[in-house]
Amino acid sequence: MILLESIIDGIRDIKDHFGRTMLQLVGIILGAGSIVATFSLSVAGKAASMEYYKVSGGIQKIWIWNQPTGKVTLDAKALASKGLTYADAMAIKAQAPDVDLVSPVSQQQMTLSYGKLEKPHNVMGILPAYSPMNDVHVTNGRFISDQDVETAARVVVLGTERAEEFFSTDNPVGKTMIIGGAGYLVVGVQDEKYFSFDQKRNVMRWMNKQMYIPITTMMTRKGEPVSQGKVSIMNARMKDVKRHKEAVEQIEGVLQRNHGVKDFEVLSRVANLKRNEANNKMYDMTFMICGIISLLVGGIVVMNIQLASFKERVREVGTRKAVGASPAQIFFQFLSESVLVSIFGGFLGLFVGRLFTQGITSLIKQPAIVTPSTLINAMIFAAGTGLVFGMYPAIRASRLNPIEALRTE
Amino acid sequence: MSALAEIIEMPETGKALIQLEQVTKTYDSGENEVQALRGVDVAIRRGEFVSIIGPSGSGKSTMMHILGCLDTPTSGKYWLDGEDVAEMSNRALARVRNQKIGFVFQTFNLLPRATILKNVELPLLYAGLRSGDRRERAMEALKRVGLEKRFKSRPNELSGGQRQRVAIARALVNAPSLILADEPTGNLDQKTGWEIINIFQELAANDETIVLVTHDPGIAATTQRRIKIVDGLIESE
Repeated sequence: MILLESIIDGIRDIKDHFGRTMLQLVGIILGAGSIVATFSLSVAGKAASMEYYKVSGGIQKIWIWNQPTGKVTLDAKALASKGLTYADAMAIKAQAPDVDLVSPVSQQQMTLSYGKLEKPHNVMGILPAYSPMNDVHVTNGRFISDQDVETAARVVVLGTERAEEFFSTDNPVGKTMIIGGAGYLVVGVQDEKYFSFDQKRNVMRWMNKQMYIPITTMMTRKGEPVSQGKVSIMNARMKDVKRHKEAVEQIEGVLQRNHGVKDFEVLSRVANLKRNEANNKMYDMTFMICGIISLLVGGIVVMNIQLASFKERVREVGTRKAVGASPAQIFFQFLSESVLVSIFGGFLGLFVGRLFTQGITSLIKQPAIVTPSTLINAMIFAAGTGLVFGMYPAIRASRLNPIEALRTE
Repeated sequence: MSALAEIIEMPETGKALIQLEQVTKTYDSGENEVQALRGVDVAIRRGEFVSIIGPSGSGKSTMMHILGCLDTPTSGKYWLDGEDVAEMSNRALARVRNQKIGFVFQTFNLLPRATILKNVELPLLYAGLRSGDRRERAMEALKRVGLEKRFKSRPNELSGGQRQRVAIARALVNAPSLILADEPTGNLDQKTGWEIINIFQELAANDETIVLVTHDPGIAATTQRRIKIVDGLIESE
């Protein structure tokens, strides 16, 4: 009852002293606003990252590279170490229990032609494992199969941009194109890969420019025995993200045994992700701290103005006490006013936060997702500020001596 | 509500409504102590209309504060309506003020931003009454001072005399055992002042217990009983 009356009183106070109230609330509005902005950007950023990881092969992905070793020239290095080979890939698959997929890639620049068009492009020799590893799908035709690999078949799968380049709007599947002087049957066109953080640039576009042949075909072409065939990059997939360290260690162990030297580098996305997460946390924290500082400053302003208005109202407090308001009732009246005013500020802050996020979104092309929990968080912070900083004026008011209060002019 | 019930059920014990025994009040103002009251014995019966007079600095304000439960005596006893209020906590005193005492101040002390209806409802709000009951009883109290038609007005839209009538309505609204008026005509012109005194006379005729603190002998002369305080002691009755 008293609470309801206090709330009505508080609303009247906001209305009567609108300018003062707004001034009082600037800090809280900005504080709540920046909390909304932080959470919205951070939530959206995380969602976008997760989506990107998914389209680019999931967080279980591991990269294995040849590592250039020091100042040795390329030729000397080639002599010193074989580098990654097809045999390494098979060894990893057989000996690393925490790895369920291995996808070695052997690349070469080759001349492609169809009809009158002739162009040099990078061609990738791959295993069927490339498809699940990199989230590659083929609706038009089929991907490279195990049988293609076994028989070193002369088949090719094109990225959408290559298909368009050589075949324009015609369906390339079933047609034969010349690659490195030999005829290859086009068996499929890879579905277009698309992902954008800013709704403008397709960060997966490079995959639409690829073309795949069986890795065995590539090695035969290069004149290498398959098992000793050189691999430029390899991907592996761990079975369980929780065992990402073990998976990486197992791979490193196999390669170390096979090579005798560390001429490779193994990197897991989970490790990467952890680093990114730490970075993101930093950003989140920075923004949050800004928001909290605004709220603190806002709280101090609320306290000051509340104290000032309390001085204006000493007689009123005296009167209320004379007619029987208990100290607790006065305390709650003042406190609920602070909280109410702060909630009002928090509410305005939500709109300011929306503006912030929209501004940031259009400035740096970052998506933002405003979730209900973000709004609730901001409101709770704003109300909490009012509660904490309203405490002192409320205590002062509740302890006022009614005789002196009534004597005040 | 409970206040009303208590009053109705209160058996006539023969004891006075107000009973002060050897009440002293000492203020500690830095080095020297000031003895505002030096052993006061007073008994006021239900339905009496009493004025307390005395020059300024005589202790009459202190007397008023103690009678009104705004302050507690340094020593001595004070029974109000059968309750020993001399050593009550602030919280308990707030309840006593709320249920047993109606104040009328020299400066009216109305809440400037609230309507006069809300002003009159104020003691009922702290008593915990529901808004319907509050409104009903506040309107009745306003009727007793002839201001029921102005219930929506704000205090600054009323004349001084009207404001004091609102304050009287506020004092009456909780059906208190005691109405305590502190220089109620001090801020009013003479004619309006007498109108206010007339209202007190009417209330006294209706068996309200009224204690009126004044320095004006003319006003004191209109009450049934006069208590004169000089130097913290009762000089004469």
